[in-house]
Amino acid sequence: MEILTNIGLNHYLTISALLFGFGLFAVMTRKNAIVILMGVELILNAANINFLAFSKFNGGMEGVMFSLFIIVLAAAEAAIALAIVINIFKLFKSVDVSAIDTMKE
Amino acid sequence: MHSLIQISIAVLLLPLLSFVILIFFNKRLPRRGDFVGVGILGATFALSFYIFWSVVVQSYDPSFRIAWDFTWIDFGNVPGVGPLQIKMGIVIDNLTAIMLAMVTLISFLVHLYSTGYMAGDPRYGRFFAYLGIFTFSMLGIVLSDNLFSIYIFWELVGLSSYLLIGFYFEKDTAADAQKKAFLANRVGDIGMWLGILILYSQFHTFNYQEIFQNLADGKFDMSEAWLTAAGILLFMGCVGKSAQFPLHVWLPDAMEGPTPVSALIHAATMVAAGVYFVARIFVLLTVDALHVIAFIGAITAFMAATIAITQNDIKRVLAYSTVSQLGYMVLGLGVGAYSAALFHLVTHAFFKACLFLGSGAIIHAMHHEQDMRWMGGLRKHMPWTFATFTLATLALAGLPLTSGFMSKDAILAGAIGFANAEGGGIYYIIPFLGFFSAMLTAFYMGRQIWLVFFGESRTHLKPADDHHHGHDAHGSHGHDDHHEEVHGVHEVAWNMRAPLVILAALSIFAVYSPDPLDGAKGWFMKMIPTPETVVGSASGKAEHGTSSANHNAAHLLAEAVPAVGHSAETDAHHEGVASEVIHEEDSHAAGHGDGHGPEFSDPRQAAIAHEAHDAHKLAIVISSVMVVLGISLALIVYVFRFVDPDRTARAIRPLYLFSFNKWYWDEIYQATFIKGSIVISKVLSWFDANVVDGIVNGAGALTRRVGFATGGFDKYVVDGAVNFTAFFFNTSGAVLKKLQTGKVQTYVVLLMLAVIVYFIYYFTQLIY
Repeated sequence: MEILTNIGLNHYLTISALLFGFGLFAVMTRKNAIVILMGVELILNAANINFLAFSKFNGGMEGVMFSLFIIVLAAAEAAIALAIVINIFKLFKSVDVSAIDTMKE
Repeated sequence: MHSLIQISIAVLLLPLLSFVILIFFNKRLPRRGDFVGVGILGATFALSFYIFWSVVVQSYDPSFRIAWDFTWIDFGNVPGVGPLQIKMGIVIDNLTAIMLAMVTLISFLVHLYSTGYMAGDPRYGRFFAYLGIFTFSMLGIVLSDNLFSIYIFWELVGLSSYLLIGFYFEKDTAADAQKKAFLANRVGDIGMWLGILILYSQFHTFNYQEIFQNLADGKFDMSEAWLTAAGILLFMGCVGKSAQFPLHVWLPDAMEGPTPVSALIHAATMVAAGVYFVARIFVLLTVDALHVIAFIGAITAFMAATIAITQNDIKRVLAYSTVSQLGYMVLGLGVGAYSAALFHLVTHAFFKACLFLGSGAIIHAMHHEQDMRWMGGLRKHMPWTFATFTLATLALAGLPLTSGFMSKDAILAGAIGFANAEGGGIYYIIPFLGFFSAMLTAFYMGRQIWLVFFGESRTHLKPADDHHHGHDAHGSHGHDDHHEEVHGVHEVAWNMRAPLVILAALSIFAVYSPDPLDGAKGWFMKMIPTPETVVGSASGKAEHGTSSANHNAAHLLAEAVPAVGHSAETDAHHEGVASEVIHEEDSHAAGHGDGHGPEFSDPRQAAIAHEAHDAHKLAIVISSVMVVLGISLALIVYVFRFVDPDRTARAIRPLYLFSFNKWYWDEIYQATFIKGSIVISKVLSWFDANVVDGIVNGAGALTRRVGFATGGFDKYVVDGAVNFTAFFFNTSGAVLKKLQTGKVQTYVVLLMLAVIVYFIYYFTQLIY
C-alpha cells in the first residue's frame, strides 16, 4: 500500500490526464449536448487537479487561487451552456449535436 | 470748368440721350418719337450755336483755345510700358466751334427732313435713334482732345455708318454695302491705330497738345522716317473714313442707305471727319507725309470726277462728287492750304448736304426712281427743289459768288503755290489735276441738272424690266409704280423744303466773306489760320533753298497771265495785311518785304504761303475758265445737242467704259484682294484640313493606340490579377468549405489535432 501513502506529483498528473482523456472522449464522441457539457466539466476539473498538484509540490498559492477561479468560471459556464442548450432544444426540438448542422457551409 | 466746356458736354451728351430714349421707347411714343430726335437736336444746335457765337463771333481770336480733361482710366505703372493713364478731354477752339455748329445744324436739318422722307417706314423710330448715336459720335470726334478718345469715337461713327447704310438690310445690296464700308474703314483704322501707337511709344501721351509740344522740343528719338510713317499711318484713318483713293470704293456703295443718311454721314460730316482729323494732326506731318497726302488727294479728286461723268444714278453722281471734293480737301491739307481745306470742308458740307437732300426730295417725289435717264422736266413740278439744287450745284461747280468758289479757289491757289515753292515739275501734277477736276465737276453737275430738271419727262422711256437688272441695286423700298406718274410728281412738304432752303442759303458767299472772290478776307479763314508746323525745320531749310531759287520763275509764271495786274495784286496784299489781326508783330517775312497773311518761322511753310498768295489771282482765273469750260461743255452736249452724248460714248467706248465701270476698282479688288484672300483662305483651309487636322487626327490615333495598349494592360494584367484573386479565393473557399461541416465535434477534433500538431512541432523544436 506504499502507493497509497506515498503519493507523488506523477500520480496527480496521471489522474488528471486520465480525467482529461475521459472528458475529451466524452466531448468528441457523445451526441447528447448535456453529456458533452459533462465532458467539458471533466476537462475543467482535470485542469484543476493539475493546478492544485503543481501548487502543492511547488509551495505557492497561485495554483489554489487559479483553481478557485476555475470552479467559479465552470459554474458560470455551466449555467450559460445549459441556457444555450435549452434554447437549442427549443429551436430544434433536439439536443443531438450531430443533427444541429445548419452552420454547414 | 469753363462754362463753354459745360455747354459742350451737354452738346455731346444730348444726342446720346436722344439715342437712348428712341432705341428703347420709340414704339411707345406718339409718332414713334420723331419729335424727341428733332427736339433734342434742335436744342443741341442752339447750344452749339451759342458756343460758336461766343468763340468765333464774340472773342474773334484765332488762337482761342480752352481745354479740359480728366483721367479716365489709371493703370498705374504698367510693366514694360511705364505709367499708363488714359485721359479724356475736350478742347474748344475756333475749328471745334465751327465744326460743332456745322454738324449739329446739318444733323438737325436732316432730322427734320427725315420726318418727311422716312414717313411710313417700318423702322421709323429706330432711324432717328441711329441718327442720334451718329451725331453723338461725330460730336465726340469734334470735341476730342486726344488721339485715344478720337479713335473711340472714330469707331463709333464707323458703327453708326454701318447701321445706317444697312438700314434696309432686307436688301442684299444694302447688307453688302454696309459690310464693304465697315471693312474698308477697318483697313484704314488699323493704320491709324498703328500711327497712334508710334506716337504713344515716344511720348507716353495721347493728347494732341502734349504730343506737339514734345515734338517741338525735339523729344522724338527715332529717325524722321518714323515720324513720316506715323503721319502716313494716321492719314490712313482719313483714307478709310474720307473715302480717299485707294479705299474710296465703299462710299458710292454706301448710297444704299436712306438719302438723309447719305446727306448727313456720307456727304457732310462723317466723311469729313477724316479731313478734320488730318487737320488736327496737321502740325506733326512731315514734308514727305504731306507730299503723300497731296498726291492721294489729287488722284482721288481727279479719279472720282472722271467716274462721276458717266454714272446714271443720281445719288452715285453725288457720291463720286463727294469723293472728288474730299480729295480736294485732302489735297489742300497736303499742299499746306490748311485753312482753305477746312473752309472747303464746311462749305462743301452745306452744299453737298443740300444736294443730297434735294436728290432725296426728287427721289421721294419720283416714287423712288433714282436713275437720271428716266427723269427730266422736274423744274416745273418742283420749283423749290430746283432752285436750291441749282444754287448748291453752282457752289459745287465753283461758280463765283458761291461759297464753293472761294474755298475751292483757295485750295487751288494753295496747290499752285505749293508746286511753285517745291519747284519740281512733278508737283505741277497736283494743281493740274485739281483744275481739271474742277472742269469735270462743272460738267457732270451741269449734266445732272439738265437730265433731272430740264427737257421733257422721260419716265415713259424706261424699259419695263430695267429696274430688275442694273437698277434694283439702288432701288426702292416699297412702291414700284414708276410707270404712270409725272402726274404724281409734286413739290415736297415744308419739313423737307425748309432744310433745302437753309442749306442753299449757306452756300452763298456772303455768309463767309464780304469779298466774293477772296475767301481769305472772310471770318472763316481768319479764324482758322494755318498752324505752325512742329517738325521738319531742318528739311524745311533745305526746301527753302530750292524754293527761293524757284521763286522768281514762279513769280514770272504768275504774272505771265495777262489778266492779273501786279498792281491789283499788291493792293490786295495790303488790304489783306490791314485786316489781318492775327500777326500784328512784324514777322521776319522770309526775305520778301510785303507780308502775305500769317507768317511762318518754318521757311517751307512761309514759302508756300507766299507763293499761294501770289497764285491767288491766277487760280481764280484758271478755275473760272475751267468752270465755264465745264458748264459750256455740258450745255453743248446736253442742251444744244451739238454733240450726241450716246454717239460720243460709243466713239470713245473704252474710255467711256473705264469711267462707267468706276476705273474697274471693284473688279481690281475683286481680282486681287478678294480673290487673293480667297486663295489664301483656301491655302489655309488646305493647311487646316491636312496639317492641323493631320496633327489632331495623329494625336487622336496615337491616343487610341496608347488607349488600346493601356486597355490591354488593364484587361489582362490588372483584371487578371483581380480575377485571379477572386478565382483563388473561390477555389480555396470551395475546398475549405468542406471543413465547415456544422458539426461541433468535428471542430473539436480539428482543434485537438491542431494542438497535437503544435505540440509535436514544439517538442521537435525542443529536441533540436
